[in-house]
Amino acid sequence: MDRRFIPAGVSRCSTAKFLLWLAPWAAMLAFGLYSAGLCLVKGLNQTHMNNRFAFGLWIFLDLTVIALGAGAFFTGFLLYILKRKELRAVVNSAVVIGLMCYGGAMAVLGVDVGQPLRAWFTFWYPNVHSMLTEVTFCISCYLGVLAIEYVPIVLKNRKLRQVPHFLVFEHELHKLVYVFAGVGTFLSFFHQGSLGGLYGVLRGRPFAFREELGIWPTTFFLFILSAAAVGPSFILLTTWLVQKIARKPLVRPQVLRSLGRISGLLLAAYVLLKAADTVVWLRRTTPRSGFLPAQYYAWKPFGVWILFAEMALFLVPMVILLLPKLRARAGWLVSAAAMACCGVAVNRFVLTIQTLALPTLSFDRFLDYLPSWQETGTFLAVLAAAVLVYSLSFRYFGLFPEERELRREPALASESEPVLAGK
Amino acid sequence: MLPWNYGVHWTVGTAIFLGAFYTVLVIVVTTLISTALRSRRALQAGETGDVRWRSDFDELPARDRACRHELTGEVEERACINGFDCRECDDHRKFLEKRPPSAPGDKTFESFGMTFPLDRLYHRGHTWVRREPNGTVTIGLDEFVKRLVGKPDSLDLPRKGQRLRLHGTAWRMRKRNVTLRVVSPVAGIVVETGGPDAEWYLKVRPEQSDLRHLLEGFEVQPWVAREIERMRVALDAWGQAPDPGNGKTDVASIAANCPLPCWEAVCGVMFLRP
Repeated sequence: MDRRFIPAGVSRCSTAKFLLWLAPWAAMLAFGLYSAGLCLVKGLNQTHMNNRFAFGLWIFLDLTVIALGAGAFFTGFLLYILKRKELRAVVNSAVVIGLMCYGGAMAVLGVDVGQPLRAWFTFWYPNVHSMLTEVTFCISCYLGVLAIEYVPIVLKNRKLRQVPHFLVFEHELHKLVYVFAGVGTFLSFFHQGSLGGLYGVLRGRPFAFREELGIWPTTFFLFILSAAAVGPSFILLTTWLVQKIARKPLVRPQVLRSLGRISGLLLAAYVLLKAADTVVWLRRTTPRSGFLPAQYYAWKPFGVWILFAEMALFLVPMVILLLPKLRARAGWLVSAAAMACCGVAVNRFVLTIQTLALPTLSFDRFLDYLPSWQETGTFLAVLAAAVLVYSLSFRYFGLFPEERELRREPALASESEPVLAGK
Repeated sequence: MLPWNYGVHWTVGTAIFLGAFYTVLVIVVTTLISTALRSRRALQAGETGDVRWRSDFDELPARDRACRHELTGEVEERACINGFDCRECDDHRKFLEKRPPSAPGDKTFESFGMTFPLDRLYHRGHTWVRREPNGTVTIGLDEFVKRLVGKPDSLDLPRKGQRLRLHGTAWRMRKRNVTLRVVSPVAGIVVETGGPDAEWYLKVRPEQSDLRHLLEGFEVQPWVAREIERMRVALDAWGQAPDPGNGKTDVASIAANCPLPCWEAVCGVMFLRP
């Protein structure tokens, strides 16, 4: 039925099958929108957050998806600025993933601010002393840039490109895409850093507080580096997943290996700096704040295991991704990428949830927090919307330029005899 | 913090932050406006065909963009970056200088029962161009796609007097619900139209006499061999492999027998549409 809209030379499942795939995600989206609607209409009393536990599931997930979505800016940077041409195979997919990650984060923030009608205050009356201002400005801008980068992908649709205006606009926009890649990199550096800085400047929370390098706390740099390291891993992981679900090769294996190698190198730099930061934090910053490191891990369930888990989730994938022999095996490669993604999620969880849960004054108590179903539902809406947009983009836009060629690849490798005969 | 807000205190930090932020905004907006203006200019200049070709060409896999000198074995591996317009290629001249002078060869070349007269030039999009004594050129479909497409279900030829752009659309035809866009091998004004019943489709008064971008003489044979291979691979990808019994497939039977998505893909490959 929709064959005319599907890129030529590739195969997609039937419309009925596709609708069947979309149905559960659409139901999840509807449930999520209802949950978010409740929070917007009835207020934040629908959540389990309070004045003491002001950052909950939403902020943790915002930080995580923004780190994972960093693959969009970093792939663009590597392709258009550093000319790593093999990444052309995944850049469209990276843009869609980035757009959904950032779009989802912004949508959840819209619910999280509690008074969404006043959300524009942050732009009109910004607080120059707040890291959040930098975050808000940069993320809003970058979301706009990602939306612009998504336009050529949409306009490449075979029906749309029959319209001369769309065809020419897409072509001209594509010529200047390196400008957006550069701007995106600049914005991403600052908002990833500011998100980290947000925690590093919390003097009243010694668990999160870090000393400064220049004008920024060390978390500023660690967030940038961890996002840049994990972004390619997430692109690798999602590409592999889409290949499995679609049951066809979409990129050459060496593209995934290249993403893995880039991720491994950056993880090595991150692990090194994170280790140095942790040592300084435990041996200097913490005692100066009047705490003992052991106090941070005295409250269950956040025992010292979480520190080691976080370290292992960066260290193990780093080793796997740096060893060519292991990287060459799809199982190891994908497992390492998944571990790195989990590592960044644990890191963001620790900084958001553990920081707020730990007592800081003698009369404080350890705070419990479990998200309400409305909070969970709102998050599920983001997940469902991301899957829906990605599925539609995969079906109707050419997200993987090598797909057509790879369909022909096995035949190219075969050594059968010429097949043509004239009449 | 914004200049028009109450109680603004300008500091170096404020200036740097707002300066960077507004610079980014200006860059983004300027780039978008520039894109819109460039698009408008291109549309007004009637460059849609060029843009379509450039866009299509950039998306072709490297194998489909193989340089003519790779086909002839003059270089091991080389992908074209000039949209098959060798007149823009500096290396083409160098390759020609190295070629030994060619002796007059056969007047036709035969492959798999298909005849390719060598009194004409061939475009990679499967059209041929023959210079006429009156200064015009005649354009037709080569034997390969003539057999592949057979008689089109419908035909959309340009009007007499219409201007063709190199690599723009020469004409369109439909076969099995798939529209096939034939790439124009030359730029010029259409002076006469033919059709599938005639040997040719268009007679054109070319804008330039330089037709170095077209294949000629001994280049045709390796190109046809490569095209046969490309079609075999395209068929194979859709599970339309040749009968293992005889290892052969009748070109003319492809249009009738292969499923619609396969037909569309094969036509895309042959007519250089990604």
